[in-house]
Amino acid sequence: MPYYLLLSRSITHAQRMSGVLERAGITARFFRPPMGLTDRSCGYAVRVSADRLSAALEQLREGGLWPSKIFYFDGGAYSEVTI
Amino acid sequence: MIYFDSAATTLQKPASVPAAVAKAISTMTTPGRGDHPAARAAAELMLGLRTEAAAFFGVSTPENVILTTNATHGLNLAIKSLVSPGDTVVISGYEHNAVTRPLEAVGDVSVRVVNGRLFDREQMAEGFRRALADGKAAAVVCTHVSNVFGYELPIDDIAALCREKGVPLIVDASQSAGILPVDLGKWGAAFAAMPGHKGLYGPQGTGLLLCGEGVLPKPLLEGGTGSLSRQQEMPDFLPDRLEAGTHNVHGAAGLLEGLRFVRGLGSQRIQRQEASVTEVLRKGLAKRGWRVLGEGPVLSAVPPREEPETAADRLAEKGIAVRAGLHCAPLAHMTGGTIDTGTVRFSASVFNTPAEAEQALALV
Repeated sequence: MPYYLLLSRSITHAQRMSGVLERAGITARFFRPPMGLTDRSCGYAVRVSADRLSAALEQLREGGLWPSKIFYFDGGAYSEVTI
Repeated sequence: MIYFDSAATTLQKPASVPAAVAKAISTMTTPGRGDHPAARAAAELMLGLRTEAAAFFGVSTPENVILTTNATHGLNLAIKSLVSPGDTVVISGYEHNAVTRPLEAVGDVSVRVVNGRLFDREQMAEGFRRALADGKAAAVVCTHVSNVFGYELPIDDIAALCREKGVPLIVDASQSAGILPVDLGKWGAAFAAMPGHKGLYGPQGTGLLLCGEGVLPKPLLEGGTGSLSRQQEMPDFLPDRLEAGTHNVHGAAGLLEGLRFVRGLGSQRIQRQEASVTEVLRKGLAKRGWRVLGEGPVLSAVPPREEPETAADRLAEKGIAVRAGLHCAPLAHMTGGTIDTGTVRFSASVFNTPAEAEQALALV
């Protein structure tokens, strides 16, 4: 099942992203992403399903909580997405 | 015991505070390390505290609410972020050692002390205007309420002057948080520091530093934050930058419940209750020949025929808890004219009653 990872540098920021999205009805669990996706390791990420990315980004823009990077997961591999 | 030492630490807490501490200590670890339920519960708790404190104290974002060990910790962070050797700093004549000692420790700081008569807010504001007139001040550090006399300084006016002059303001809200409105955004202050264990009814070992916009604070401690682990410099974002090491999560849990208690009651109700108690004390002490200096929930008094320490000791033996001496604020005593004797300080909390004040007076 493809999905997007919205990366965040801190747990507090990731929690806030998750909170904004969950309140908007978008399932968005935060967790530790694989280290290889982060520049300097130990970041956090929020996972959203592939069909909710646009809605999620709109919510995050309104909330002033933009992710530091976005990755798309499909077929067992991640690829960075530029928005 | 009748407890009138709440300006140091409130002893009586709402029942929800120790309950939250006990629950947290057995169910939560620390946020930003593991990703298991105990760590996630801690993360949820910490975000809850930051979010509710940000809303209550006018902070733009929860990330700018830092958990400290006490107000002194917060003041050290704030002062050492803004003040460097060679700087000029303006302070009021009612500051605590938690302000003056960090300034001394920075070294080679020119400290301008704005003196003014006790309770003369107009004169104090005018003093700050004059002290800031030459544009040399790198920062202003000012207490909101004197821990010795309960004197509420004209912080709105001082904040307006700082905004006008572009001088960063650090507010010591040790005695006001939970009792008077503390609004970082309205003041446009760089920082406000407060303890958790006084008017917020949290446990000792907790405090908050509220950070304004546009300042990158300097850490006092470096270490693990659970973020950017390959980078050897501390993260450049809050709260991680100022929160190295494992958090006092059970303390934060108690502080959150204390904050909720204060928000639930409302500051005005707390003020009214405390004022009703101190008014009885003020009148009763004056009637018994004590020299009384104070406003709000804190009052200082000098006994007529004995040393303050002797009077406090005598009262302690009779079950009345007060504090005598200089209250870690010799500058305030110098400004207030009580440096030679010190005072006996009576400070109420919302749990005190006028009947308790009458009982204490009967033993004075």
